Amino acid sequence: MSSKRLAYPIFRIVMLTVVVMTLVIPFAWMVLSSFKSNLAITDPKQLLSFSPTLANYETVFGVADFLPFLINSLVIGLASTLVSLVIGVPAAWVMARYQMTKSSTGVLVARIIPTISLLIPWYYIFAQTGLAGTYTSLILAHMFVSLPLIVWIMLGFFEQLPIDLEESAQVDGLTPIGAFWRITLRLSTPGLATAGILSFIFSWNNFMFALILSSAQTRTLPIALYNFISYASIDWGGLMAASVTITLPVCVFALIFQRYVVAGLTAGSMKG
Amino acid sequence: MKLKNTMTAVAALALLLPVAACSPSAPKDGAESQTLNVALPTHAWTNAIKESIPEFEKASGIKVALTTFGEDQLSDQYNVKLNTKSKDFDVMMFRPPQDGKLFVQNGWLAPVDDYLKKADAGYKWDDFLPATVDSVTVDGSVYGAPLITEQEVLYYNKKLLAEANVKVPTTMEELEAAAAKLTDRDKGQFGFLSRGQLSASVTQFSSFLYSFGADFDNGKKATLDTPEAKKAYEFYGRMLNQYAPPGTTEMNWIQAMPIFAQGKVAFYTDVSSLSPNLDDPSTSTVVNDWGVAPFPAGPAGSHPYNISAWALGINAFSESKDAAWKFMEWATGPDMSLKLQQKGQSLARASLYSSAEGTKGFRDDMIAAIKTSTAPGVAVGHDRPLVVKVSEAREIIGKPIVTGIDGGDVAGAIEEAQTKYQQFLDEETKA
Repeated sequence: MSSKRLAYPIFRIVMLTVVVMTLVIPFAWMVLSSFKSNLAITDPKQLLSFSPTLANYETVFGVADFLPFLINSLVIGLASTLVSLVIGVPAAWVMARYQMTKSSTGVLVARIIPTISLLIPWYYIFAQTGLAGTYTSLILAHMFVSLPLIVWIMLGFFEQLPIDLEESAQVDGLTPIGAFWRITLRLSTPGLATAGILSFIFSWNNFMFALILSSAQTRTLPIALYNFISYASIDWGGLMAASVTITLPVCVFALIFQRYVVAGLTAGSMKG
Repeated sequence: MKLKNTMTAVAALALLLPVAACSPSAPKDGAESQTLNVALPTHAWTNAIKESIPEFEKASGIKVALTTFGEDQLSDQYNVKLNTKSKDFDVMMFRPPQDGKLFVQNGWLAPVDDYLKKADAGYKWDDFLPATVDSVTVDGSVYGAPLITEQEVLYYNKKLLAEANVKVPTTMEELEAAAAKLTDRDKGQFGFLSRGQLSASVTQFSSFLYSFGADFDNGKKATLDTPEAKKAYEFYGRMLNQYAPPGTTEMNWIQAMPIFAQGKVAFYTDVSSLSPNLDDPSTSTVVNDWGVAPFPAGPAGSHPYNISAWALGINAFSESKDAAWKFMEWATGPDMSLKLQQKGQSLARASLYSSAEGTKGFRDDMIAAIKTSTAPGVAVGHDRPLVVKVSEAREIIGKPIVTGIDGGDVAGAIEEAQTKYQQFLDEETKA
């Protein structure tokens, strides 16, 4: 009896440990390494006992001057997310309310095309129109991914919202758009938060688009990371400190919006 | 009404945002013809020449705009942008062994033969090491000026050798005997290390292959299964299987070099350009203990590769080719070469290695190793097969190496690699 009762808690603890360790160890290694000298990073004996240094962070904000890249990433991430929300949310609502399945499938196609195959035509078009290397080209490129993402998240969300609410609002004198604006949108905060944060994180981490489409003035953080890797030498400490710098804002951002995100992801299953 | 206004405002904002956001951009098209766009990798050479660029701008009246990228990212830039005939860069630094043939075949590099004919006598084109000139020559035309040279050398740990009373080996047999003597797994000490990762190992394996008297191919026929090549494969695999730290099949220099730098390995074969890492106290515990020797001799003698890892070329679509050549002539000329060599670069001009001025920044044993390796008849001008699809070829050739390290059936793996590589060559020559 007692052994059976014990089996589940033990199983639970073991599984939790395994999962948490897998997720946390690389992250912990990164954070620890960012406070080590390059020599300490490659010495297994100094895995946990080492003399901490802030030199790597001084490199990141001093010599490597990460601030402009941080600003570029923020501008591009926020602008592409906001514009995508402004366009994508009403679009998703219309598609949901009027069962526009062909349109929604069309949007999905944009998600299916491997984005790398678009880089050459994009670069060509942007270079011909003089937009290559500008914020505009990067924002548009990121929107190509974030817009379908937002449409599809919101599509599912709107379909779950009872249509009765909008109908009774119309009985009370609101136009359909008024009902969307005053009723549906207010009820969709969790969905908006989920869509917004996922779209922002995508933009923040995107490497491929920025590699080709950015210029020296609009370079983003993921590209700047590679400044620590040069031919025949790698500054591991600086690389790790820069990685922490990149990860931190997203972590903070995600923690703040977390409850909305979780609510958004489970909203459908709760209502049924 | 109110609602309508709000919606209009939102829509207007949506349209304006992208336009407003583009203000801090810099148009880069050829409006000012005297701006020269130079694309460089993050490399010690780049850092060294940066300081001197104002001198060039002053003397020539040409403004230089530098863009720097990581090695692979730079290659990605070229592959995407030159596909659209981009004029984004005029001067481009490229890797002849990895990209040269592909870029020339695609028509992305402009030949510089005419410029060389017209060049000032003081430029001394014949001073460039022959093996490096070969690496930028395709079908008789020259497509760039060689910059950085690299040879495979034998790094060793003086302290470990002295403790065991072992001499620096000069042949493969001596190397194996010494590595066996110096391997002590209980102490975490190992005799030998080199790259073992599928694709990365091929370049460092190449010198072993040449020194056993073999090569990857003879231009048309794969030669991976000759008796000499088989012996080279077996030797390299055995050395890493028996005398190296665990996990070598995942090791490029990024993983291997730090193990040597931590003082745990007696012998390490890799490229000469890694030595600054060993001299830097922030990355190395063997600053005073490492030594370097020429590549050990196999049955066919000592034949390390000597390649031009990087070269400067001109974008075929550039509209400022004359200015681009001016920059190249200045950056690779005798004066600037000497200046950069003194800052620790290993450049492609022969005269730099025979003058006291040119070897000032080098350790004596490194200069001796480079001189021995680059002597006529010793060095081989390629460290990977001379093909267009280099990455694909490397993966085929690397298979038997990995099999050998894992202690598997090398003979069988060689047979398979030979067949696949032959098919690869057939397709490549057909195209």
